[in-house]
Amino acid sequence: MLRSFSTCALSLSFTLAFADQPTENEVWAVLQNAAQAAHSQNYQGVFTYQSGSSTKSVQIVHANQPHGEYARILVLDGSPREILSHGEDVIIYRSQDEKVIIEKRHRQNTFPALLPLDIDTLKAAYKARWGGIERIGGRDGQIVFLDSRDRYRYGYKFWADREYGLLLRSIMLNLHNEALEQITFNQLTFFNVTNMDWFHPNISRDKKYCMESTEPANKLMNQPAWTVTSLPVGFRKLEQSTHTMPGKSVPITHIIYSDGLAAVSLFVEPINKGIRPKIGHWVMGATHIHAGVSNNHQIMVVGEVPEATTIQIASAVRFNQ
Amino acid sequence: MNEQISALMDGELALDAHDSTRLDPIFSAMKTGGESAESWATYHLIGDVMRGNPMFKPDFQQRMMQRLEKEATVLAPHASKKAIHHDDKNHKGLKMPAKWSIAASVAAVAFVGWMALQLPSQNIANITANEIAQNVPAEYLVAHQASASGNAAFYVQPASYSESAR
Repeated sequence: MLRSFSTCALSLSFTLAFADQPTENEVWAVLQNAAQAAHSQNYQGVFTYQSGSSTKSVQIVHANQPHGEYARILVLDGSPREILSHGEDVIIYRSQDEKVIIEKRHRQNTFPALLPLDIDTLKAAYKARWGGIERIGGRDGQIVFLDSRDRYRYGYKFWADREYGLLLRSIMLNLHNEALEQITFNQLTFFNVTNMDWFHPNISRDKKYCMESTEPANKLMNQPAWTVTSLPVGFRKLEQSTHTMPGKSVPITHIIYSDGLAAVSLFVEPINKGIRPKIGHWVMGATHIHAGVSNNHQIMVVGEVPEATTIQIASAVRFNQ
Repeated sequence: MNEQISALMDGELALDAHDSTRLDPIFSAMKTGGESAESWATYHLIGDVMRGNPMFKPDFQQRMMQRLEKEATVLAPHASKKAIHHDDKNHKGLKMPAKWSIAASVAAVAFVGWMALQLPSQNIANITANEIAQNVPAEYLVAHQASASGNAAFYVQPASYSESAR
């Protein structure tokens, strides 16, 4: 109650203060408020995700309850996909042919909870810029640009709800200011949670269920013979683990880096005799994949970042002599 | 519809010779152009990129036609060769047959390219998930999306990704 009151008070103060051009600190505060609102508010709506020629409508219900955050996300277009999350746990239900595949994941930064709760972590790599007010889906949106300070990440344009703070729209912009990915609420309501009847997967019960067989990722056992030096500004290591991938005998070291918004995976594995390593570059929407070889190891970098970033991270792997 | 096009490309649609009712709407939608045709082209482009096939620039046909138009029309190559022997100073004449052969080879490439582009639509079922998975490091993409990625991992499942993730 206290929290929602302070959120309201905060957004009210913005509305008053922004008669003039807001200062950069005030613009950052809009984003901080947006990050908070995605977790603390109760809301439901439909948003559209667009990347390249692919468009998906997604329904979301989010509730902040005493026992934690609950969300149900339903992909309305294409193959049925349902995502239920409680706190850090995410379960994905996917209908495929005659069965339903169930997959467990960790919580990720997905719309509208795109922004990190500690907004200060973005300041080294991004500049915040005020863009005015624009109406989105019947609500007033405060526009904030996040411009990259270098060429190692994409920029963003956000519309944050003037009243509740929540992101109404988000666009990921490439280095030429062209939209790579766009997400917009077409319909959004804030509500008071009275029951939790909606929090269950709406999948047919006569289908077979099967858990996605994911190999357990172990925390790193022994120190690898390499280190990563000189990452692009703002990127920090989030997690390091070893995977065993299907069809591979050697475990692969997987490190996740993030600058607070963009995530990059680095995979390093020794090359087995008789296996031809992959070399090359692939692009899929906003995702770049860079494959190279160093010191008889396969280096693979995957991330929603420009090509230069994947190359820089791949070349930052140094082998101990 | 996009889902069906993608499934068609992946050979996931049951192709029954006696029952084309499932396919006809897709084909007719693609024939009328617009979004369906675009999806079909885009999915193939993605597949080509993933398989590492060489690609023509978008304006290939246009540039090809421009090149051809600039070429002198040689109706009787033998006659022009004779002319060269008679007039050694006519360098222009000397170059002409060479140029023509370049244009001819481009035309051959164009023909092969056209054939290659036609192939997938005839042999959709032959493009297996393995072919794609071998070239694109799909397992890394899946591992990245499962633990690090944001929106794309949740909402987008490209044809080949869903194939290889099976």
